[in-house]
Amino acid sequence: MTDASDIRVLYLSPKNRPGVYTTDLEQQSRAAKSAGAEFVVYDGDSDGELIEALKDTDVAMSQGHRFSPELFKHMGNNGRCKGLVSFGHGYDGMDLKSAVDNGVILANTASFGTEEVSNQTMMHFLVCSRKFVLHDKLVKSGTWTREHLSPMGHIAGETFGIIGLGDIGRAVARKALAFGMRVIAYDPFVSSWDAKEYGVETVTTPQDIARQSDYVSPHTYLSDKTFHMINDEFFDLMKPTAYLINCSRGPVVDEQALIRALQENKIAGAGLDVFETEPVDPDNPLLKMDNVSVTNHYASYSEVAWERANTQLGEEAMRIALGYWPMSLINPDVRSTVEPRGMSVSWEVLLAEMGK
Amino acid sequence: MAKHRVVVLGPNTDDPLYHERAEMADLDVEFVQEAPKSEGEAIEAVRGADAIMMGGGWGSEQVIRAADQAQVLAVYSHGFNHIDVETATEVGIIVTNGAGMCAEEVSNQAVTMALCLNRQVVQTTNQLRDTGDWDRSAFMPIEPIDEQTLGIIGFGNIGRQVARKLGQGWRMETLVYDPYVEPWIISEYGVEQVFEINELCERSDYIIVVVPLNSETFHMIGEEQFDHMKESAYFINVCRGSVVDEPAMIEALQSGKIRGAGLDVFEQEPVDPSNPLLQMNNVITAPHLAGASTRSAWLARQRASQQVAAVLRGQWPSAGQNPEVASKLDEKRRMPGSQGKITGHGE
Repeated sequence: MTDASDIRVLYLSPKNRPGVYTTDLEQQSRAAKSAGAEFVVYDGDSDGELIEALKDTDVAMSQGHRFSPELFKHMGNNGRCKGLVSFGHGYDGMDLKSAVDNGVILANTASFGTEEVSNQTMMHFLVCSRKFVLHDKLVKSGTWTREHLSPMGHIAGETFGIIGLGDIGRAVARKALAFGMRVIAYDPFVSSWDAKEYGVETVTTPQDIARQSDYVSPHTYLSDKTFHMINDEFFDLMKPTAYLINCSRGPVVDEQALIRALQENKIAGAGLDVFETEPVDPDNPLLKMDNVSVTNHYASYSEVAWERANTQLGEEAMRIALGYWPMSLINPDVRSTVEPRGMSVSWEVLLAEMGK
Repeated sequence: MAKHRVVVLGPNTDDPLYHERAEMADLDVEFVQEAPKSEGEAIEAVRGADAIMMGGGWGSEQVIRAADQAQVLAVYSHGFNHIDVETATEVGIIVTNGAGMCAEEVSNQAVTMALCLNRQVVQTTNQLRDTGDWDRSAFMPIEPIDEQTLGIIGFGNIGRQVARKLGQGWRMETLVYDPYVEPWIISEYGVEQVFEINELCERSDYIIVVVPLNSETFHMIGEEQFDHMKESAYFINVCRGSVVDEPAMIEALQSGKIRGAGLDVFEQEPVDPSNPLLQMNNVITAPHLAGASTRSAWLARQRASQQVAAVLRGQWPSAGQNPEVASKLDEKRRMPGSQGKITGHGE
């Protein structure tokens, strides 16, 4: 029977990150406490103090806390702390290579906001397609006119192009299919028959997405491979009636190129939850356009989603501490640099194994 | 001499290897075909191989130790229970299977059997053909399947397709037992996860098992599980015979612990013609062909070839079945392009 009584879990608290981050940590500590492990909080901002704290820790979890790659040198194969779980979907702030070199297991809270982000995407898509921003403004300013309606698509039968067919991309596909749309996707890591399982047609280049789609929506992580993958060349290939939706990461889109494309009517409009600089500059021309809908990077938020992320954070940490692989390993190369571990297993099953 | 020696073990040595050659066209590969008749011949055949491809047959510890130079062993089938994976991991060989190559076919077989059992198609055909008897009473009750509960044991590629087809298509309440599946896959498919196999047995009207055969799943369905099933339940096995304790299943069917079974696989294959399962009117059977179709025949070869090609290119293969081997790979074999379980630029 697995025993967790010697395990210490370190929670890195996001000091000075007010708002939705601030909770009583009941959700984050739930897994550790139910397994009988110790839950410790660090809310300072000193690497020296953190190095000391990591020495007495089996695993760390971070909720928006700064985490210097230097710290990996005191973890993994070089220390007691075997891994780091970070809150959220994206892991563009992490130095994956350094973690692999030091045998540090990294996990995120994959999929916690799949429904929310895909819903935000569908919202921006509908707002764009139905020209909501403009007409909301016109009606509220006392102008009742239909002269700006055309061109307006039928949605059913139109093509929705997804870049990145991960959890979110698949949820978007499922919802777009419900609108009667044809869904195409570019994702070099997903085979055509896996895509078929989701009713999606795969294409082999991002350019195919640009050319064929009436709506383009990236759902990739941000990396050097996806940075500015939607750029001038991409906009040149898009239909003038097509819209770009972005609920992934701002720098996946070359924002200056997007502004040019909109100003030159290369595309019909855009729906954006993310920007290259956040908070967005109030003078950003995107905020002044009637064919652009904007939200302030909250696509993943709902109380349910954030509770899921908070509890997943704790469960993944406990899996790592107990010698199992996490369910959402984000640096799989680390399998080459650490000793064999148990397959990741449902938290409920792990608890039962511990007799809890 | 070619850079990579790929040994293909098969029933004959004159296969054109169309898919193998196509998928590895950009690699410097020499194909060697062998049709070993004994373990000794298999041991000789795999010596010095960089990659081994095979259907059924030669995956014993001795053969794998003789192939210790190999980087990858690709089986064409879904199941790899004939491969000593532990030894392969120990000597640093990545084992890949044909994951997904016949998921549509196997899930269709499971759905077909569930519907046939529900509508008693086999029994009605037999009665009409053999006796011409129009009496319908023997087939009652026929339950409305859209109000019944489906239990899926094992939620991999095939289990998910069964959920999509029977769960979503026929609107059945769907339970899943799989301790390794991610919770977000459970919500994506709109199914309910249970964490005790006996709970699934108690609540399900159709129990479909789709797991790989290994030491953990050997006889995972035995007397205890049949004891937990409803008397009205149908049990369906389209994966591997030895996942089920066959004498326990025979006893359960004979004593009326369950209502019937659909079996594509048996503990001993070909099945003994005197096996009592073949004599029962409430059992429908097939000779282990759930994965068969004109497509899966070539898709199996294409997938296995892509797995080998990926490893020879230094990438982690998309259908690697022993990820723990990664830590056993020495420096020269370390996979720089590793993307975990979903990848495969080769695909």
